[in-house]
Amino acid sequence: MKSLKIYLILLGLTISQLVHAEPKSPNWPKIYADKLFQLTEIMVTDVASPPVAARIYAYATLASYLTIQEQGVKFKHLSLLGGTYLAQNSWSTPNASLKSPEFAAIIAMLQVGEAIMPSGYLLKERQEEWISEALKAKIISKKELQVHLEYGTEIAKSVMEIAKKDGYLQLSTLTRYTPSQGEGFWYPTPPAYIAAVEPEWKTIKPFFIEDLAAYKPTPMAPFNLTEGSSFHTQLMEVYTVTQELTEEQKLIANFWDCNPFMVDFSGHMAIGIKKISPGGHWMGITGIAAEKQQLSFAETAYVHALVGLTLHDAFISCWQAKYETNRIRPETVINQKMDQRWRPLLQTPPFPEYTSGHSVISRASAIVLTGYFGDNFEFIDSSETYFGLPERPFKSFLLASEEAAISRLYGGIHFRDAIDEGVKQGEKIGKMIWERTK
Amino acid sequence: MIIQFIQKITSISILGFIMSLSMVCNTFSQTDYSANFQKLNSRKAGISFKNQLKEDANNNILRYEYFYNGGGVAVGDLDNDGLEDLFFTGNMSSNKVYRNLGNLKFEDLSRKSGLEGKEVWTTGVSMADVNGDGLLDIYVCYSGKGDPKERGNELWINQGNFVFKEEAAEYGIADQSNSTQGLFFDFDRDGDLDLYLLNHHIQVINELEFDEAKTIRHPYAGDKLYQNDNGKFIDISEKAGIKGSALGFGLAVIASDINQDGWMDLLVTNDYIEPDYLYINNQDGTFSDRITDYFQHISHFSMGADIADINNDGNPDVYTLDMLPEDNERQKLLYGPENYEQYALMIQKGFYHQNMRNMLQLNLGDGSFSEIGQLSNISNTDWSWSALFFDATNSGNKDLLVTNGYFRDYTNRDFLKYKGDYYFKQAVANEKADTLHLVTTMTSTPVHNYFFENQGNLEFKDRSLDWGFEEKIFSNGAAYSDLDNDGDLDLVINHLNETAGIYENKGETGNWLEIQLKERSKNTNAIGAKIQVNLAESNQFYEMQPVRGFQSSVSQRIHIGLGEIETVKSIQITWPDGALQVLENIEKNQRLTISKEPNSQLSSKQKAEPVLISSDNVPPFIPQSVGFNDFKRQPLMLTMPSYISPSLAKGDLDGDGNPEVFIGGTKGQAGKIFSFVIGEWIPYARFTSSASVTDAVSIFEDFNNDGAQDLFIGSGGYQDYIGSDEALEDRLYLNDGTGKLTKAPFPNYKFSTGTAQAIDINKDGYFDLFIGARMIPGRYPQIAASKILINDGKGVFTDQTIAFLPQDGKIGLVTSSQKMDFNGDGFDDLLVAGEFMNLTFLINESGKTFSDQSQKYLASPLSGWWGSLALGDFDSDGDLDIVAGNFGLNSQFEANEQKFLKLYSADFDQNGSVDPILECFIGDQAYPFPSRDELLDQMVSMRSKFTDYASYSKAKMTDLFSSKELDDAQILTANTLESIYLENTSAGFVAHALPKIAQAFPIYAILPIDVNHDGHLDLVLGGNQTFTRIRMGLIDAGLGLVLSNDGKGNFEALLPSESGLNIKGDIKSILPINVDGQTQLLFGINQQALQLFKVK
Repeated sequence: MKSLKIYLILLGLTISQLVHAEPKSPNWPKIYADKLFQLTEIMVTDVASPPVAARIYAYATLASYLTIQEQGVKFKHLSLLGGTYLAQNSWSTPNASLKSPEFAAIIAMLQVGEAIMPSGYLLKERQEEWISEALKAKIISKKELQVHLEYGTEIAKSVMEIAKKDGYLQLSTLTRYTPSQGEGFWYPTPPAYIAAVEPEWKTIKPFFIEDLAAYKPTPMAPFNLTEGSSFHTQLMEVYTVTQELTEEQKLIANFWDCNPFMVDFSGHMAIGIKKISPGGHWMGITGIAAEKQQLSFAETAYVHALVGLTLHDAFISCWQAKYETNRIRPETVINQKMDQRWRPLLQTPPFPEYTSGHSVISRASAIVLTGYFGDNFEFIDSSETYFGLPERPFKSFLLASEEAAISRLYGGIHFRDAIDEGVKQGEKIGKMIWERTK
Repeated sequence: MIIQFIQKITSISILGFIMSLSMVCNTFSQTDYSANFQKLNSRKAGISFKNQLKEDANNNILRYEYFYNGGGVAVGDLDNDGLEDLFFTGNMSSNKVYRNLGNLKFEDLSRKSGLEGKEVWTTGVSMADVNGDGLLDIYVCYSGKGDPKERGNELWINQGNFVFKEEAAEYGIADQSNSTQGLFFDFDRDGDLDLYLLNHHIQVINELEFDEAKTIRHPYAGDKLYQNDNGKFIDISEKAGIKGSALGFGLAVIASDINQDGWMDLLVTNDYIEPDYLYINNQDGTFSDRITDYFQHISHFSMGADIADINNDGNPDVYTLDMLPEDNERQKLLYGPENYEQYALMIQKGFYHQNMRNMLQLNLGDGSFSEIGQLSNISNTDWSWSALFFDATNSGNKDLLVTNGYFRDYTNRDFLKYKGDYYFKQAVANEKADTLHLVTTMTSTPVHNYFFENQGNLEFKDRSLDWGFEEKIFSNGAAYSDLDNDGDLDLVINHLNETAGIYENKGETGNWLEIQLKERSKNTNAIGAKIQVNLAESNQFYEMQPVRGFQSSVSQRIHIGLGEIETVKSIQITWPDGALQVLENIEKNQRLTISKEPNSQLSSKQKAEPVLISSDNVPPFIPQSVGFNDFKRQPLMLTMPSYISPSLAKGDLDGDGNPEVFIGGTKGQAGKIFSFVIGEWIPYARFTSSASVTDAVSIFEDFNNDGAQDLFIGSGGYQDYIGSDEALEDRLYLNDGTGKLTKAPFPNYKFSTGTAQAIDINKDGYFDLFIGARMIPGRYPQIAASKILINDGKGVFTDQTIAFLPQDGKIGLVTSSQKMDFNGDGFDDLLVAGEFMNLTFLINESGKTFSDQSQKYLASPLSGWWGSLALGDFDSDGDLDIVAGNFGLNSQFEANEQKFLKLYSADFDQNGSVDPILECFIGDQAYPFPSRDELLDQMVSMRSKFTDYASYSKAKMTDLFSSKELDDAQILTANTLESIYLENTSAGFVAHALPKIAQAFPIYAILPIDVNHDGHLDLVLGGNQTFTRIRMGLIDAGLGLVLSNDGKGNFEALLPSESGLNIKGDIKSILPINVDGQTQLLFGINQQALQLFKVK
């Protein structure tokens, strides 16, 4: 609150300046989404796995949110961090009132991206680009640049201090995963038999969730190949549904594939075909909604951080379930027991089956987005156009999340209960988060 | 041309040709011969053939898998004018035939002869007199993605004067398979040539379809065997047991009598996951694939191959090529993550142990092979096509050519991981992605061919750059022939997108002989004949089989190098039907044509009895398998320290004169004692151990001075033990005098014990203990303090390490120890060795303390990756000498005084875990051993340092870490990996390397014992290491090795047939026991039943 007044004055100045210089104010939601996509591009290059990508989104969006918060801007809803373990955290931010918190917020986001991603150094150039764009658009002046950059850098640093303590750096000290012995357990899948992705992700600190046990899904159907058993029925469902897919169902499966690394083999030659992660897809949707709603920068940063943090918590909860159940993938059991030639439409991702990650995180994201934008918020999802997929209209976030969930059945990579229970798991997480923030 | 008929009835014993390993093939090493290949100016030679590819939308690697495999070469005297002519296949360009005009001039007769072939993807070629009319015919293979009807293979029947008629259909072998090569041989010994047709699939099979694919014969991908029935070839593949599944990606087929039973066997190499096939001829018209019986591991993406006797012991050795590069940069670009689950799946599905490197399977006779490609220095030759063993220097030892190169760097990891970004980036840029563009813009790295000189001691020396192969180029099929009839072998190589090369041999070569065989049967050139050249100290062995290497067919004459020898005592020819013919006193430097005139008979085989005779009467201890993967705990370790059992020890607990044997357990299975009572092993009831411990070392001694033997057991292992684990405590079991063992109080230090010695340090008459600390589980290679425990005489031990051991006991990763009074002062001293540790002499200073006086006993420090020590008087001079077992030389690692192995360790990234990083030499420079994926998995900080494989491919330790970080790290080194015999002399201990074959595996057990009763201590060695990183692969060349000693410390290796040892597995312990008044040797083998051998 301390700098609210100053901010308002500055805002007034900014607007008057902008009005003076250009007829309309910057399209902040679009700028924000474009800058965030610059992080996404690097995640694609680095092949960030779905949970790792969510963590990157969480800290990057947190940095931009925090810049705005620390500048004392009032948000529509409660402080995002009030409901997290960081509620009492004191941030060491410089004592400065910025002319453009927006500019600094984007700097902070890019710098977190730079620090947190292996190829983050590529964002240095992007920061330079942003600086010249901002100067050109008179978002800031040359004189003001330094103080803004320092501010953004400080915010990025404090966020990285948090990130360093969340357990990520300890992951490589833990014993690596060994698949469980016995029937019904997950085993690496063809064609590349990639090792289990982040088996110890449950050790990463979530933002909102205090006790992971509270969000455990209902137990899955036990492995049982007897006809009539729940597992067998679900197995047959995957097997038959995938052989009778309509064009629409195939499109749905591909639209929500979000596999960061599909390996395409041709003899000795193998190419990794890349897509954005599930988290990246929902970040895309968030940007589309923010732009449609013409949100202010502050609100844009807020809602992106809301979804970013939600994604991160949802992935941790889901990953805990995955490596506690260690359930076999449909591809493995069908090839072993039923039909060697059967292939899923999508390449099976390299981690256990239960619960469906996309179901959990899509539902959790849809819940908080619905809370924020309201139900029946129509939007056209163009997140996947870079990956050769068409735009796709949705009547609401929840309908989109339902489609994302069922797409895993069409894709042949999940059983029904992993989808249904995953949706419930995500719903519970989403609701808890929205309850604390609204 | 000189024709000789030599007739003399002689009786030859086949066994006479089997020589001891150490004796073989060093006959001519005293003279320096050299080869010097000079590439002819192709225009002057008259050669214009060029295998030119045209990449376009219809013809490219995406449409056809084997687009860059290249063409073949065949040589043979097509017009019987005494000069071997040339035939080249072009994949997309016309085939060409050249008449040899002499003096290395050639005339292009392609058009005239009609041999240019057709507009179909052309692959391999072979020359053979298929119709038995005395003229060589030509069989050309076709493949590609076109209409099968168009790609029938061609058989060009020679009409004389370079006129040919295509009659494949008439003969029944216009086969429409995707063929790689046809091999003509007389497998049924009926006097005519049959055909093995090697094929490959043109689509990649998805891995989980393997089970199904294995069971179905694929019409175009499966190999075929055609039996010659009076000039008509009949497909008998199925009946004959030839595999024909779609998994076959056959790249080479070589015929050889591998088991020396007189019938031709076959090696078929397969690319990708399908294992190679080793078809043993059942002598009844069928073959059985026995590869897993004969070889313990094989190359993975097998390509070309050759079979030849490389060590002149009369047994054909098998060499298969793969694609492992020699230099660090290309290796780092190639290696991905180690995937233990995928490997386990491969084993489970029957695809066997396959590793990506060239394999040399040394034939030890009787179906025993040791894979020694790395020991022999011929394992890394990049993406390799043809392998040809031939004596380029006429020294008497067969040298080796390897052609190589792949037109695009597809296996570059950056391509897999980052080229896919192209699609994404094109999309972001709103441009259409074109996969062909992606492929054709891939980097192309030409490489030089390899040429190796056979050193005569199982080792090959890289002569590529000295002897004419410095050119960087893509090379595929190749053939050797004495094209200018000057007495040395020249080379013909088919290059990709370059004019084919003729390489004239202008080296300083020795004496020679060349033999052309003439059979009376339809197999006029006697394919399948064997030639044994008997010389004073060794015998050379050749097989007449021109199809060798890759898609090619070599000279039809047998070229023999003689070195200094002027007259060959005798040459024995075994004709394809088994008839023997012996030629005697053959003068050097002549070309002989030998017509079949059998004049000799095979004597009955008299098999000498081996020195060790297997016995079934083993203690009934059935080890269980244990499932720990230590690399999941510390991914940068090199071998798994969990797998050390069983330890063995003997005693007599109840004083009944019958031995008790302790067999060490491992986590999951408790150790046990067995008594030998009236010819039977009975479990010993008065001792129990725990299944939570891993027994590393066991000693029976009277520790409490009551006249009864007690038992000390050192606990080792790694598994999932944590630092405070009680299972790491060593144990003392005291004997109550009746034979009952009870655990007694004992100091409770905790580390993984490596070795122990019961030694009366202070000469008070009681056994004290030295305990060697091997490691701290989970914290490798942090050094724990070894211990000195002083005995009060009642079996109560106190820890007096600080007073007795240097560095407070932190002397290294100790694995082995021996006690001996080195300085003759009456106090026993200690000899200690370990991993990356100096051979350390700890001298007992009058029972007060030990001081490290190694420098007094060794001229220079000997640091190694030591695994075992033994003492004995090997040179019969009355003092004790030392044998030290090291890691051996059969790995990618190299260590010497100039090239140290350095094991750095520290918590570099300060996250609480120890990061062990080995630095090793590759070529002249030292690089970190881990692949990029391995390093990045262990250290988060490296992920932003090396964002792609290219950036890591040149990285050295100093690029990974700051000099301060490196200075602060713990550094352990090894300056030798050789297992050695240390002769005790007045000037200290002088190191001598054990014989070469003893360097083929890590040695973990050494038993000095006189096995042949000649009064000299021989050595029985055991070792191997199955639990290595995947990319190191199994080290399994040891079969239990006996080295016989001449009494002067000169050791000679015995063959399995001589020693009686043929143990597959990791031998951890060898215990001599006396039962029934006879010395027997008990072998402890990891996760296998014990094996027992009686000393003859």
